[in-house]
Amino acid sequence: MGPVYLFDLASSQARWLSLRQATVSSNVANANTPGYRAQDIEPFSKLLDEKVVALAVTSPLHLTSTETSLRPQGTRKEDSWEIVHSGNSVSLEQEMLKAGDINRDYSLSTAIVKSFHRMLMTSAKS
Amino acid sequence: MIDPLQASVQIASSGLEAQSDRLRIVSENLANANSTGRTAGADPYRRKTVTFASEMDRAAGVRVVKIKDIGIDRSPFRVEYEPNHPAAGQDGYVKLPNVNMLIEMADMRETNRSYEANLQVVKQTRSMVAMTIDLLKGA
Repeated sequence: MGPVYLFDLASSQARWLSLRQATVSSNVANANTPGYRAQDIEPFSKLLDEKVVALAVTSPLHLTSTETSLRPQGTRKEDSWEIVHSGNSVSLEQEMLKAGDINRDYSLSTAIVKSFHRMLMTSAKS
Repeated sequence: MIDPLQASVQIASSGLEAQSDRLRIVSENLANANSTGRTAGADPYRRKTVTFASEMDRAAGVRVVKIKDIGIDRSPFRVEYEPNHPAAGQDGYVKLPNVNMLIEMADMRETNRSYEANLQVVKQTRSMVAMTIDLLKGA
């Protein structure tokens, strides 16, 4: 049986989800700020694709490149549902939908970690 | 950047604060909707406006919202013919504040909606933190 990278995968998804939650929170707080452009972070699949070719980290002194792509950036015009006259492109409905998605994915990811942990403990105890 | 979940709560609370300040300005406008001047021909209460700006919080590394400026609406006053009023001018017209009830009500509803959205974000973030802590429960 090969090594299982599930815990690493789950924790990196949890990190990505909480960063996305921070971005959504920033958008909602700025829902009435003139000229503010809604932000989002890169999809998780893109982060995973980058991880495949990422350099191995064998010492704590090595630099990692995975964190750099997790910066919030402005969304494209066609991605946001509405742009009001003041130039603000935050749609509260869209942000609530995103927040619901994040919450669901987070609960799924923690549930998987939980059950995997239980499996490990079962095999360790018996 | 600090812990993203902690940062989300911080950002949402900055939004709550900004929206409650906005509600205060709306209530000030509504309360003074009929405040005329004291002396003859004096200007009445002028409607106040509020603008937000996105600001970088250096300590947390996130963009929070702040009140940029509380301005004054320079639109013309309403006038009414009422020669007996103490604030009436030479021509018998009283200047009334440039507060439009409908606009204030619409502003109030928008404030309420944004406040609720921020509150919802705080709730969801809290539930995410609770889920993370619950990982310890099963073990």
